[in-house]
Amino acid sequence: MLRLVIKKEFLSSLRDIRLQISGTILIVLMLTAVLVGRHGQKEIQTQRTKAQSAMYDKWLNQGNKHPHSAAHYGQFAFKPKPVLSFLDIGLDNYTGISVFLEAHKQNEVQFSAAQDSNGMTRFGEMTAALILQVLLPLLIIFLTFDIFSKEREEGTLKLIHAQGLSMRQLFMGKVWGTYLMVLLIYLPIIILAYLLLDQRSSNLDPAIGSKFLSLTVGYAIYFLVFVILCVLISGFARNSGFALLTLLGLWIASCIILPKATANLADKVYPAPSQFEFRNAIKKKVKNGIDGHNPSDERLASLKQKVLDQYGVASIAELPVNWSGIAMQAGEEYTDRVYDQEFSRVEEIFNKQNRLSEWVGFINPYLAVRNLSMSLAGTDFHHHVAFAKAAENYRRAFVKKMNKDMEVNHKPGVAYGDYNVGQDMWASIEPFKYNLPSTSKVLFNQWRSIATLAIWLIGLLLLASVYAPKISKL
Amino acid sequence: MLEAINLSKKYGGHQALINLNLKVSPGEVFCLLGANGAGKTTTINLFMSFIQPTSGEVRINNLEVNTQSQETKKHLAYIPENLSLYGNLTGLENLQFFAGLGGEKPDKPTAELLLKSVGLQPEAVQKRVSQYSKGMRQKVGIAIAKAKQADNLLLDEPTSGLDPQASNDFARLLQDMKQNDVAILMATHDLFRAKEGGTHIGIMKAGKLIHSLKSEEITLQELEHLYLETMKAENHAEVSY
Repeated sequence: MLRLVIKKEFLSSLRDIRLQISGTILIVLMLTAVLVGRHGQKEIQTQRTKAQSAMYDKWLNQGNKHPHSAAHYGQFAFKPKPVLSFLDIGLDNYTGISVFLEAHKQNEVQFSAAQDSNGMTRFGEMTAALILQVLLPLLIIFLTFDIFSKEREEGTLKLIHAQGLSMRQLFMGKVWGTYLMVLLIYLPIIILAYLLLDQRSSNLDPAIGSKFLSLTVGYAIYFLVFVILCVLISGFARNSGFALLTLLGLWIASCIILPKATANLADKVYPAPSQFEFRNAIKKKVKNGIDGHNPSDERLASLKQKVLDQYGVASIAELPVNWSGIAMQAGEEYTDRVYDQEFSRVEEIFNKQNRLSEWVGFINPYLAVRNLSMSLAGTDFHHHVAFAKAAENYRRAFVKKMNKDMEVNHKPGVAYGDYNVGQDMWASIEPFKYNLPSTSKVLFNQWRSIATLAIWLIGLLLLASVYAPKISKL
Repeated sequence: MLEAINLSKKYGGHQALINLNLKVSPGEVFCLLGANGAGKTTTINLFMSFIQPTSGEVRINNLEVNTQSQETKKHLAYIPENLSLYGNLTGLENLQFFAGLGGEKPDKPTAELLLKSVGLQPEAVQKRVSQYSKGMRQKVGIAIAKAKQADNLLLDEPTSGLDPQASNDFARLLQDMKQNDVAILMATHDLFRAKEGGTHIGIMKAGKLIHSLKSEEITLQELEHLYLETMKAENHAEVSY
């Protein structure tokens, strides 16, 4: 019986001219978004790979110079464009793409696409994620708003009931029939997207397969949640008009109003410092000490005494190592500590803001799937922070190497300009390489979103099983 | 067998059905006559368990409808006044779908034969139902009822809006079913069809079954007189034929 209802619902939807048109539009939009997105991702990644390689070449060929000058000469780290960003651009347009790595300074990741674009970027791009998260649910609404009410209004519900089909069976038949129709639109696009992945994709992210699969399953659950919710509302709506209004109201609230309201609320509840405040706090703490009672001149004097004691000498001139190298590395390390402290504070604020959005996801599955999708596509806040941290670790390592060389090899008494190193030294620094977080780490970060989708699915199935028999036949 | 025992239904303050008692045995056709709002459709709806009775019992083949709703459906076929089918499906697909829900889904040749047996033109079988007239839809409805091979049939004004030819075809099919020992309860406004096709006739007014008689006991003229007098009368005890 269930199979009969599923087949009938699927056939009816397939033959509905309104759905044929809207489904075709949606498929064309998705095809365009996927193909254009994949082309764009490949092009951007090629550019960034080239830029990264060109900058490393410049580093290698900077000529002979003092290692500290080389630390100031610096390097660039380019953020790889995650492969799955062609499905979900996430925050990628708003976070920077590269960071200049140099001695003494933790620079920001800069040059976001939004900085270089006109105001239209603010309205978002037509990505596969936008279509899957926002437009496909709209199609589900048009598929389901009158799925019960129309049958009640036209009287077919009576005839079905007369044949001995229970309302629970009918309900599930309608759910699966509609879901089959949704999969008919969704799966071909997802298969096409999968086929567009190639060898280069797995080079950039070895976990691409499992992330793609998780993304596919995540969206499939989201659609099922939406289908059950819509069929349930249609079942209890007084008439088709009321059902449509209710569902459109819910769609506007969940896909448009709540996400904006949540972002504003998160910003109010957990206000983040401005970039100026962040930089100023670091500057102050470096100057006055982390606790505010350890000024830089006192720290330097204390370090000097410690080094003199260590080598058993009375003055810097008697030291067998380069004092400037030691002092600079100590300064770096202190600044790093301050930076880490301040950065952790800001990161925690952003994490709290994101967590609030994830908790709100418990009442709004759209937010849950949005967060999960961004995360699996590698375009969320966690990925940006992971890149920024990797770049900063790389900076610290290469600056430390320069300082160490200066400390050990730049003998006291030799003038700054007279101690130079060359390409062998530069080549000892490996090129910057950033590995995207693993699938398990991404999924762990998104446990709230996953739990949200699971709770919605199980909750709605339970609700349907209890309330479907109560749907009126008249 | 269809049976109503002291059956009553109240909608808020309105008493739609009052202490109805009737029994339709196999091979009998009980026609319920009455003006709009008399309680005919409420009676049918109670047999179908679309609504719950305020008091009393409804039994189908001795099974209590309220407690064994799904079980009773196996023994019951139903044709409503305005038979709605799925416009996007063909007549054949509609028959296969509804008959499949009621039991075995008939294969294509069987379904085509069934539709032919109720008088649907062969060229209409593969057309979408959105292109059907009311009479054609009603024929598909009859085919659905026939496919179920139930021993009880409920009809809610099945000939309303049908042309005379279709109405006549319908009466013929009803006779076939009667001869196959099906118990039929039909709500109708059509006195002629009730007299010609029914074995028993009931006249309802304001939720009450005022008269219940065998059709062989009365002529069409007498039935018409009785019906009109019943509709006019304030006190039903005064009406007799």
